[in-house]
Amino acid sequence: MTTPRPTPPHRLATTVTTLVVPLLVIAAAVAVAVGWAPRLPDPLAVHWSGSGAPDGFGSLKDAIAIPLLFAPVFALGMWALAFWGGRDTSTRRMAAGFSTGLAVLMSIVVLGSLSVQLDLADAAQAPGIGHVVGWAFGGGILAGVLAGLVVPRTPAAPTEAPVDPAAPRTTLRPDERAAWSRSVTSPVGAWVGGSAVLVNVVLAIVVQAPGLLVLAAGLGLLLASMLVLRVSVDARGLVARSPLGWPSVRVPLDEVVAARTTRIDPFGDFGGWGYRIGSGGRVGFVLRKGEGIEVERTGGRISVVTVDDAATGAALLNTLADRTRGAATAR
Amino acid sequence: MLFRIDPASDEPLYAQLVAQVRTAIAHGDLRTGERLPSARDLATSLEINLHTVLHAYQELRDGGLIELRRGRGAVVTGHAAPDLDELHTAVGALATTARRLRVSPETVTALVKEALR
Repeated sequence: MTTPRPTPPHRLATTVTTLVVPLLVIAAAVAVAVGWAPRLPDPLAVHWSGSGAPDGFGSLKDAIAIPLLFAPVFALGMWALAFWGGRDTSTRRMAAGFSTGLAVLMSIVVLGSLSVQLDLADAAQAPGIGHVVGWAFGGGILAGVLAGLVVPRTPAAPTEAPVDPAAPRTTLRPDERAAWSRSVTSPVGAWVGGSAVLVNVVLAIVVQAPGLLVLAAGLGLLLASMLVLRVSVDARGLVARSPLGWPSVRVPLDEVVAARTTRIDPFGDFGGWGYRIGSGGRVGFVLRKGEGIEVERTGGRISVVTVDDAATGAALLNTLADRTRGAATAR
Repeated sequence: MLFRIDPASDEPLYAQLVAQVRTAIAHGDLRTGERLPSARDLATSLEINLHTVLHAYQELRDGGLIELRRGRGAVVTGHAAPDLDELHTAVGALATTARRLRVSPETVTALVKEALR
């Protein structure tokens, strides 16, 4: 932390995808809602009970204020995170995706629940909005994924500067090739995620809602992407990936500033388990409490992976990185 | 675990890998149930031929150190080779005794099954 960290790249793109687009979506939703005002009953249905009938009534302001205020505040928070802390591509992708996705979700919920009441004399006659919620989640996820995809990547930043001499090393003979590989699983994830999937499947059968099976399948896929990892260090650098291959942490050798072991507390440092963005802009896989590899990279990025025997992996990464720095390092 | 390959060494590459896994298991660096990288991954990592790694893995499997499962890669079983060696010696002694006493193979296997029950 002696030298100031460089500012995150692509700040204009971050501002557009994480702040401008969500605000425009919300503004458009408000404009449409206000335009519909003459055709809407007064009071309006603003809340629906579990059985599908409206059970809460209020003015147009009540119907749109909370959801449409929440999205811009959330967008502002995500924008601040990505603008000041988004050195890693995935941080900016997540910020843009969640921000735009939430704005679209909220807009569809509000406009959908208003559209079923257009030209009704009494809001109590309003039909259920189960399908609106379905469309909102579908539209929100789609918009979020699209916003995430258009975010430009952090450019590759190879360096010729020597790896921190104080960082750990492995001794290798000049001709020797070495690779380190280790698998990591998440015990907490397996229990929590596995039970969630099971509950979903049972619930889907009991209440005969096949939609829940889709949710269970999605959850299962998410688990498959984050429960088991293969972490390796070789000539390609540090690679941590799930059997699905996505998401992944990849640090090429020429971007290594220094690799070290670290102790990670998933809740305290990252607010949970999985592929995470944590305090200090650290990004990576946090599958369990305990030791892990922390790699300081060029561009002020820090990648982390929880894994056993982290000392061996970190030392080999530094040693292999030394070899890419040519004559600058004697070995 | 850490795999090292020294192309300058006289020892064949596959034998270098076998020796390292054996040592890692003996020292407890690799525990039962631990998964080794897939042969393809390890071959790419070390920039060596896939068949070299497969040769090493087969050797380790024959030694009872790992189990190879289709699609699931190599899993450490942790049965160190010395245990099996002892068993081989004991079986050899049993066969010799059975031949000396002229007991039929069927009777011997029946007795062994009885004893293992």
